[in-house]
Parts: sequence; structure tokens; C-alpha cells
Amino acid sequence: MSETKKGPERASVPFRNPGWAGNTGEFDLSEAEVRGDEYVGSRPADGGHPSRAPSYPFMLEDKTPDAPLFEGPYRERYEKILSRYPDMRGALLPVLNLAQELRGHISQETMREVGALLGLSDAYVRGVTTFYTMYNKRPVGRFLIQVCTNVSCNLCGADDVLEAFLENTGTELGETSSDGLFTVMEVECLAACGFPTAVQINSRYYESIGAGDVPGLLEHLRDEGGD
Amino acid sequence: MAYPYTHEREVRVLSRGFGEPATRTLEGWKTLGGYEGLTKALEVGRESVIEEVKASGLRGRGGAGFPTGVKWSFMPQEKRGPHYLLCNADESEPGTFKDRELMRWTPHQVIEGCLIAAYAIQAEHVYIYCRGEFFETNQVVARAVEEAYEAGLAGEDILGSGVSIDVTVHQGAGAYICGEETALMESLEGRRGLPRVKPPFPAAIGAFGKPSTINNVETLCAVPHIIAHGGEWYRQWGTEKSPGTKLFCVSGHVRRRGNFELPMGFPLEDLLYDVCGGFEEGRTLKAVIPGGSSVPFLDADDCAGCTLDYEGVIEKGSMLGCASVMVMDDRTNIVKQVRRTVDFFAHESCGQCTPCREGTTWLSRILLRIEKGKGTEEDLDTLVDLGKQMTGTTICVLSDSAAAPVISSIEKFRDDYLALIRRGEAVGAG
Ligand SMILES: Cc1cc2nc3c(=O)[nH]c(=O)nc-3n(C[C@H](O)[C@H](O)[C@H](O)COP(=O)(O)O)c2cc1C
Ligand code: SF4
Ligand code: FES
Repeated sequence: MSETKKGPERASVPFRNPGWAGNTGEFDLSEAEVRGDEYVGSRPADGGHPSRAPSYPFMLEDKTPDAPLFEGPYRERYEKILSRYPDMRGALLPVLNLAQELRGHISQETMREVGALLGLSDAYVRGVTTFYTMYNKRPVGRFLIQVCTNVSCNLCGADDVLEAFLENTGTELGETSSDGLFTVMEVECLAACGFPTAVQINSRYYESIGAGDVPGLLEHLRDEGGD
Repeated sequence: MAYPYTHEREVRVLSRGFGEPATRTLEGWKTLGGYEGLTKALEVGRESVIEEVKASGLRGRGGAGFPTGVKWSFMPQEKRGPHYLLCNADESEPGTFKDRELMRWTPHQVIEGCLIAAYAIQAEHVYIYCRGEFFETNQVVARAVEEAYEAGLAGEDILGSGVSIDVTVHQGAGAYICGEETALMESLEGRRGLPRVKPPFPAAIGAFGKPSTINNVETLCAVPHIIAHGGEWYRQWGTEKSPGTKLFCVSGHVRRRGNFELPMGFPLEDLLYDVCGGFEEGRTLKAVIPGGSSVPFLDADDCAGCTLDYEGVIEKGSMLGCASVMVMDDRTNIVKQVRRTVDFFAHESCGQCTPCREGTTWLSRILLRIEKGKGTEEDLDTLVDLGKQMTGTTICVLSDSAAAPVISSIEKFRDDYLALIRRGEAVGAG
């Protein structure tokens, strides 16, 4: 097939976020088909087959900062993770991920607890946690909005998109809005450079976002959530 | 096919399943000949697999272009303990967006490639090190791994061959440097992602202290096709030294952005003007970064006659890298984009080496000063000087990568810098 025609003008509300270039002509898949939701199906609470357990954690809207590490199905996932690495240290990142899924951020106390579980010192776990940007060192809003401002997106207006998010949520970069809903951050290239601007909201990608799409997208999150 | 844009000059081998949800399933992948490569590999034996990959001339798609078959043959022939295969799915080089597409549309292609490679190097465990941000994509891959286990394609006694290979989908936590092979190993082991001094090389001491091989997602995706159809078949595309097809990730100021699978050696200008539809009305080409943020700029003159294979791009003074073609038209403020790139490297430097840790920060500060119209002409010499001191002096090449766009942009777009320095005027808007 040769080139497709240029798509219709971008709608102001990107709910039909197709997971890639939202406005390309011959594109007639549902959002779930593009994202793979239908294929993946619902996620079993215990993590399913052990091979997937270490990749399981998600960024959830609902966070339980004082949830125990780990009980019930989370305990099962934790044990499946341990079974996939030759030593306890290897399980550190997946276990921190799991803790963050549950609690929403990794506090000093969480670092201590994870260290105790895996037989690693506090200082060691702190050193590792602070190295990686995806561990939230303090609580974040219900929706963690990360806007890519790296070069490919930047060439196509990412600075304006970031500005629109800050303005429409009434928050400062890295801060959480007063209603506790939104935390807006800048993020480095999300590997979706062909579909600028790329934005990650919790665990989900929104692509081909323009500054004009932002109010509608925020409204959608407020009303219907992002999952 | 519905994938956002396709073009008649594409050769869709790896990207055949893009835009086809059915291809995600094991059943769908089999209708495209899936797992024929693995079946054949188990029949012909692991030495023949390595020979076939060597014959194909396949080169690593993670950036360095090292011959894959040769890399595999570095692994100990006699096993004294576990071997590991690591699939580098940490895609985070700015401008690169191919591995995510391969993983989310054709997860079984990735898994089949991993299994064949693991068999060839006698690994009993494959870790697919997925980028942390890829929650959705990782779930697609993870579901496919589960399917492969259910069908007896992974785990114990694969297809009754007596060979056992486990596969684990591991999720990172956000650090560009973990894409570097030894940093990835450190990270997999539950440490900070600090690149190691080499030697020892991974084939001797890799992940968890054991012999390991690491390959990029796209490299591994080419393997099943090569085994199923033969190395000679793969060589029908591309050049003598850069055989096969390659996914080109085109971003920036062209009409059609996206992934295009083309034979190696494809003319850059044809990619820009034919496949990608050229520029918006009234706009012209200013610069291209042909291989992701880590490589030097090409200006419009360099682009003329440039062919997209490892050698062709080197001839023009840059590198093919991961074939991430970032296109900038005449409204681009080059100084700003270079500063943004350097900020990225400053943020992602692991901090082990002084030239890199200090150098990236200094580059960023000086560039910001120039961007704000407060720079001097001496600053340009300082930048080049600093850049040179950062090249070839560190543990990994992140430092070199940060210096490359600075040095090459000063060389090729000096007037843009001078306009800011002398008149406080930026040449482009964005
Ligand atoms: C700073 C840095 C970042 C890298 N990031 C990646 C990456 O995200 N993905 C990747 O496949 N290779 C990356 N590489 C290259 C890997 O070190 C390694 O060469 C590659 O994974 C080998 O696979 P290949 O032979 O199949 O190309 C990076 C290298 C460096 C120095
Ligand atoms: S060059 Fe930079 S990123 Fe690489 S090891 Fe040294 S400090 Fe770390
Ligand atoms: S530059 Fe924005 S996703 Fe790559």
C-alpha cells in the first residue's frame, strides 16, 4: 500500500487515543486493539505465570501508603518474583516496583522494609532507589502526568504541551495540584518520538498530543479516570 | 495494512505484523510462519545456528552494529555453569521508537528470537530487560511469554528436544544508562546501573557473574527469519557490509513520521522526500541526526547522496546508530535543541567518570548562556575543547555521545551560534 492521506484535523478531545499517531488516515482499530488490552485480558491478582510476575507492577490511581509488604495475592507475586532470580538482590527492582504499585511511592520506611525482606541494608536500598527516576520519593497525585520534552517531541511543540498541562492543572512542575489529582513532570524520551508529543499518564501512553488537546484530556481523567 | 503510514518501497520482514492485532497471539504469529525458525534451529543444532547468523551478516541493531553471529561465538563452548541471554528492551535513545513497536505488535517474534539465541549460546535463562515506562508493552510481551510456556515453546524440554530455556520479563525503573550493556547487567542484579570497566567482557563475566550475551530487540527479531530462510536469503537486501533490512524511526519535521522498514543502504534523501513526504509547504531541510541523539549532525549538504548503511553514514561524518532519523527544518533553533540534548545526557550520566559528570553539566551551562544571548565567541572554543576532553576518556560512550552533537553543531551551524552571541537573535523558533 502506498502513502495514506493526511488524516482529519485533530479532534479537541483525544479520548479515542489510539496509542500512536492519532490522526492518520486509514486507521480503523479500536483503542483496546492498539494497546493490546484485549489480548492481555484482565490481570490475575497473583501475577499469573511466574515469568510475568517481575513485569507486573502498574502505576495505579488508588494508592495505599500503609499497605503491608506483602500479603495475600501480593505475597504470591512477591514469591514468584523471588523464584526468577539466582539471588535475593536480583529481585530488588521488581520488589520495589511492586511496593510502589501498592503504596504509590517509596518512602524511607518502605526502603527499610524492602531491605529487611531481601536481606539488604537500608543504605544500599536507598542508594539503588535514588538512582532510578521512576521511584517516586514522595507521594504523587492520583494521576502522574509525564510530558516528554526531548528533541523529537520538542521540535513539534512539546514545550507548549507541558505549559498547557501546568496551566490547566494549576500546578508547578513536579508539584501536585491542591485537589490531589494531578502531578505534572517532565520526562525524557518515551520512545514514541514518531507520535509527538508523547505523554505518559500513570501506566498509560497518550500520543500525538497537542496543547489544544490538554483541557479535554484532563476533563476526561477527572470524569472517567485513566484506566 | 493499517499501520499509520506504509510505503511501497518498504520491505516488511520484521514489521509485517505491525497494525495487525491478530499477530500478537501465538496462533496469529504462526500464520506468518512463526516458530518455524525455532523448530528448525533445534533440528540443525546450535553450531549451525551460529554459522547461519554469521553467514547472514546480521549486525547488532542496538547502536554499535557488531556482527551478531561473531558475538555469539565468543561464549564459552564448554559449559561450566549457567549462561544467560539478555534481551535489551530498554529502548531510550532519544529519537528511537522501534523496539516498543516490535514488542507490542509482534511479541512472539521477540520471544522466538530470544529462544533461538539462547539455544545457540547454551543459555538456560533469558531475561527480557524491558524499559520501566513500557507498562502496556511489557504486559503484551509478558502475556505472550505465558502463551509460549503453555504451548511448550518455553520452559522445560522445548518441543520435545530436551532443551530447557526459561524466559523472564524484567521491568526496569527509568534510567537511560541501563541500556548500556554492562549497566543493564548491574541493574538486573539489583544494583545501581553503573557501567563496568571492560574487560572482562560479558561473554566471560556477564550477568550474575556468569557468561552472558546481550542483544537488542530488533537484532533478535531478525534471527527467526534468518534461521527459517537462510543467511543468503537475508543478504538479498542491503549492502555487502550492512546486509538486511532495518527499521528507520523518523521523527521531527516531516509530513509522515513513523517506522519504515527499508533495505540497508537506502538513500537518505529518498527517505525524507519520498517515503516521508518531505516538509511542510515552504519549509526546507536544515539538519538531520541520523542515528539518535548520540551521533553527530548532518547538514543539508551532507544529506545529499548519503546512503543509510553503517558505512554510508560514517562517510558523511556521522553514525547510523539505531537508525533514528531526527529531521529538522529551517525553523529549528539548533542551539536550543543541542542544549536540550546535552541536558538529557547530564541528567542521565551515572556520575562515575569525572569528564562525563562534570563535562555534561558544564556543556549545558555554557549552552544555556549562549541560548540566552549572553555567550561569547570564546565560549565556542571552550565547548569544543571540553567536548574533545570528554571523548574517549570514560568508562562508557555516553560521554562521547554528549560531546558529539555539540562539536558537530558548532562546526556545521556556527552562524546560528554567532547570531545568538553577536546579536542575541535565535535563528529558528523552536
Ligand atoms: C549509553 C548507552 C545507552 C544504550 N542504550 C541502549 C538501548 O536502550 N537499547 C539497546 O538495545 N542498546 C543500547 N545500547 C547499546 C548496548 O550497550 C549494546 O551494545 C547492545 O544492546 C548490544 O546489542 P546488539 O549487538 O544486538 O546491538 C546503549 C549503549 C550505551 C553506551
Ligand atoms: S561515561 Fe558517563 S555514563 Fe558512562 S560510566 Fe562514565 S559517568 Fe557513567
Ligand atoms: S522525544 Fe518524545 S518520545 Fe522520544
